[in-house]
Order: sequence, then C-alpha cells, then structure tokens
Amino acid sequence: MSKLTAHRKEALRYHMKQYGTGMMFMLPWIIGFLIFVAIPVGWSIFMSLHKVAVVPGGFQYTWLGFQNYKDAFLKDSIFPIEMITYFQEMLLMVPIIVIFALLIALLLNQQFPGRFLFRALFFLPVIFATGQVLSELFTQGAGDIPFLEQYNLEPLVRQYVGGELALTVMEVLGRIVLILWYSGVQILIFIAGFQTISPSIYEAVRIDGASPWDSFWKITLPSSLPFISLNMLYTIIDLFTFPMNPVLAHIRENMFKVNTGYGYASALAWIYFAFIFVLIGIVLALFNRSLRQRGRRS
Amino acid sequence: MSDPVRIRGLQQRIKSVMWSRNSQRFKMVMLGRNLSDGLIAKLIIYMLLSIVAYLYLQPLLHMISTMFMTVSDLLDPAVKWIPREITWENMTKAIEGLQYPQALFNTATIALTCSIAQVLVCSMTGYALARLAVPFKGFITAMVLLTFLIPPQVVIIPLYVIFSKLGLLNTMFVFLVPAIFGQGLKGALFILIFRQFFRAQPPSLEEAAKLDGASVIRLYVRIMLPLARSACLVVFLFSFIWYWNMYYEPSMFLAKGFTPLSIRLDNLENVLNPSLLGNKNNITNPVTEGTKMAAAFLIIFPPMLIFMFLQRWFITGIERTGIVE
Repeated sequence: MSKLTAHRKEALRYHMKQYGTGMMFMLPWIIGFLIFVAIPVGWSIFMSLHKVAVVPGGFQYTWLGFQNYKDAFLKDSIFPIEMITYFQEMLLMVPIIVIFALLIALLLNQQFPGRFLFRALFFLPVIFATGQVLSELFTQGAGDIPFLEQYNLEPLVRQYVGGELALTVMEVLGRIVLILWYSGVQILIFIAGFQTISPSIYEAVRIDGASPWDSFWKITLPSSLPFISLNMLYTIIDLFTFPMNPVLAHIRENMFKVNTGYGYASALAWIYFAFIFVLIGIVLALFNRSLRQRGRRS
Repeated sequence: MSDPVRIRGLQQRIKSVMWSRNSQRFKMVMLGRNLSDGLIAKLIIYMLLSIVAYLYLQPLLHMISTMFMTVSDLLDPAVKWIPREITWENMTKAIEGLQYPQALFNTATIALTCSIAQVLVCSMTGYALARLAVPFKGFITAMVLLTFLIPPQVVIIPLYVIFSKLGLLNTMFVFLVPAIFGQGLKGALFILIFRQFFRAQPPSLEEAAKLDGASVIRLYVRIMLPLARSACLVVFLFSFIWYWNMYYEPSMFLAKGFTPLSIRLDNLENVLNPSLLGNKNNITNPVTEGTKMAAAFLIIFPPMLIFMFLQRWFITGIERTGIVE
C-alpha cells in the first residue's frame, strides 16, 4: 500500500516538475497578461456599467447598470447607424481584400523573369500600411484614382445595386487603393501558404491531363482554404482597429465628452467588440465545417 | 465508292488533322503547359502586376516629387510630377520641425529594444505552448487569441492609469515593459507564429537531446532557438516595423516626453504654422505640403533601408516559416 502511494507521489512530483518548467517559460506572459490585459479589461467592463467622472485625484463612479448599453442604441443617434454602415462596408471589403491578395499571391507564385523585383515591391505595403505616413498621404489625396469621376460610375452602380447599398459600394470603390494597401500581410500569408502544397501533386494532375484552370480549382483553392480563413480573420481584425474607422472615432470622441464620459465610451467599445466577435465566430465556424467536410471526404 | 472521292476524303482528313496539330502547337506557345509558360499568360501577369505595382508606388513617387517642389510649383496646376527646380528647403525645414536626430533616436530605441524583447519572450511562450506541459494549455491559448482581438481603444484609459501608477509614462519603458512581459504590439500574433513553427519541428530532436541529459533551458537556447532563426527574423522585422510606425499608443503615453517620429509628424503642421492651430483636420495647405512630404519621407526612409538589406532573408524566411498550418 505504502509502495503504491510512494509511486503515486513520485508521479505527481514528476508532473509538477514538468509543469514547473512549462510555467517558467510561460511566466512572463502570464504576469503581463494579468497586469496589462486582465486588469484593464476588467476595469473597462466595470467602468462601462458606471457613469465615470474625472475628479481631482481619481475617478468618481456612479452605478448605472446597463443604462450605458441601452443608451447606445436608444439615445445615441450616431452610433448604431455608423456601426451598421461600417459593418456593411466591412462585409464588402473583407472578401475584396482576400480575393485580391489571393490573385496577387497566385501571380507572384508563378515563375517569370523579374519575379524577385515584383515580390520586393509587393512587400512595400507591409512596411508603410500601418503608419501615420500613409494616412498623411491619403489626406493629401495621393491615393485617389480618377476613374470614378472620369467614367462617371456612380449612376451605373446605382442602377445595378440600388439605393442604400449603392452608397456603400461607391464608398468602397473610392477606397480601392487603400484596400490594396491593406492587403500586404495577406499576400505574404498566401505566398507562405502556397509553399506548403507539394509540387508533385501539380505534376501528377498535369500528366493526367488537367489544365491549369482545373488544377487551380481542384488543388490550389481547396488546399489554401485554411489560409483563406486565416486571412479573413486577419483582415477583419485589421479593419476592426483601422485608424480611419468612423466607429472608433466616435468612441474616442465620447471618451472626452463631459456628459457621456469614459463609462459610456467603454460600453460602446464593448458593443462593437461583441459584434466583431460574433462575425469572427461565424467565419471560424463556416471554415471549420468546410475543412472538416473536406477531411471526411478524403 | 470510286477512288478519287476516297482520296479526296482522306486528303481532307489529313488536312484537318494537320490543322488541329498546328493550332495545338500555337496554343502551346500562347498558353503554355503551365499557367505561367505561355506568352499570353506572361503578358497578362506582367500587365496586372505592373498596374498594381504602379498603384503601390504612386503615393511613394508623389511623396518624393512633392518633397522637392517649391511653393510656387505646388500652386501651379501645370506642374504635376516633375518640379521646375529642385529645392532642399523642405528637407531642412522638416528636419528642424521634426527635431529629427532626437526623434529618430527615440523611435529607433523603442523599436529596437521592444522588438528584440518580443522575439525572446514570444518565442519562449510559443515554445511552451507548442511543446511543454503547461496547465490549462487550451485556456491559455484561447486567452492569447483573445489579446489579439481586444482593440487598444477599449483598454487605453485603464492602461494609462496603470502606467502612471508604475511611473512609466513618457519614458521608453512604457513600451518596453509590456514587451518584456509578452504583451507588446501584436505580441499574440508572434506567439502564434512561433507556436506554429515549433510544432512543425520533428520531436525526435528534443528526444535525442533529452536522452543526452540536456535540460529544457539548454535545449531551448542551444537547439530550438537557433533552429527558429528564420521565424525570429520574420517576427523581429514585423515587430520593428510596427513599433516604428505605431501612432495611437504613443500619442497617449508619450505625448510629453520621448516623443517618437510619428507623433512629431502629426504635430508638424502646428509647428510650421502656429497661427492655424486647432483646425488642422484634413486641410491640405500648399505652403506646408512639401515639408510634410519631406518629413514623411524621412520617417519611411530608415525602415526602407533596413528592408532593402534584409529582404532576401525576410522573404525566404516567410516562405520557410510556413506561418500557419
């Protein structure tokens, strides 16, 4: 009996030792998470339930319950509208960015002279796209493309898409250059992803007589499905914290208003966060299902 | 059936076969066996890539050409790309307005120290999540993902209070300390990259080292980290660039001291034109436009230089890391 417990003790000690080394590697992150993520997030949720006033020496909280969240939808005349329009735009922009990145990555993955030069060029957005420099450039109008006015596309779009949505479409078209600039990392991810598809598969289907067209639809596209889902996620998150995002601008504005304050701004931010979270959940679920189906079939 | 008719029929068939064979050869030249072999495909690839490359380069070219323009050139609608005379005045003004040497030092210090810290800590965390026994591993991985999703705007005020309590505000440590604790800029993404990388390595390496009696730390420092060189380079460069370009966080935490370049660029309009204070929003002022472009160029130039030197390793590194599975 005592032998058994000794044995068990030994096993326990072994496990603790294992956990110990693991924890040692994790420790910095865990400390950082507690101080710089858990506390601020908890605090921000706490604030969103209060009316927060800044007084000398700290904050003054008045309990409001869910009033801030209710106000966001019932009283605020800007927030719901802006959020809905931004979501519409996002639903259009995410597929455009991902498809564009896929196309460019496909082209850059081909063998042709001068490929190296082009590749280097297409990494430029990765360097600049995050910065203040780019927004400076765009306020100066450096990124406009004239074809929208030149060919008078607006009535055309209005005719085919109709009313409300036409505005969104035009807005997205107007930002097409910006969209291209925001697909730098996605192109990178796709190029990295294509390297994982073995070239022998292409060889095999070519011998079986498949055209490049077939091999794209039957091999390249299905095998890059995980990368497409990853890119969708990355794009959603990227647009979510986009510097020219009107919703975030509204939140920032409310932060320093006297009658709304930081409590209300936090509530807005959490509502926004919840919507994005749902969107990400849907994307993940869809891709997981299609991936699993593929796995079952093969 | 008479012979001449048969012969004529045969001739026709031969002709049609030859024709189809020729057309096939033609098709081969034009379309090629692979997607990229044929002439047409090449032409299309070059065309599409050139158009997009132009769109990418255009703001850059605009910046460089505006940088050398005088005010009269900027106001003259006839001058579009090439300035009448090249002036260096914008450049000197921008260097002065940005307090360039000082701000460059600040930005470079933050970007370098933080990205090195991020490489070390994120690789450690990624390794632990990939290979070591950690309690509640699934939960912790989910939390890592969650930190990636939280927008900085949500937690900025609590963070501000925490940093001021810790006495970090307006020093470089306001970014270095979170980076050391694995919460740097987009740290979650880097942790996931490292986790994916270490997971893809064959476990036999570690088993062999363990059998030889190496401790986990030794194994990590001597074998795993050198193995992850390409991943380290990718993470370092991404992190460096993102720290270099970041704007929102320093505008809150470094407004009064240790100001980096991005904040100075934002203030440049006020510095150049104190009378316009307050209504700088989205107004393009032709008098200062050249100076602003020069300033923007000065900010982009150092990372561009670094990238030019490292791009070969960077690109192959990215291909080899296989960022995700």
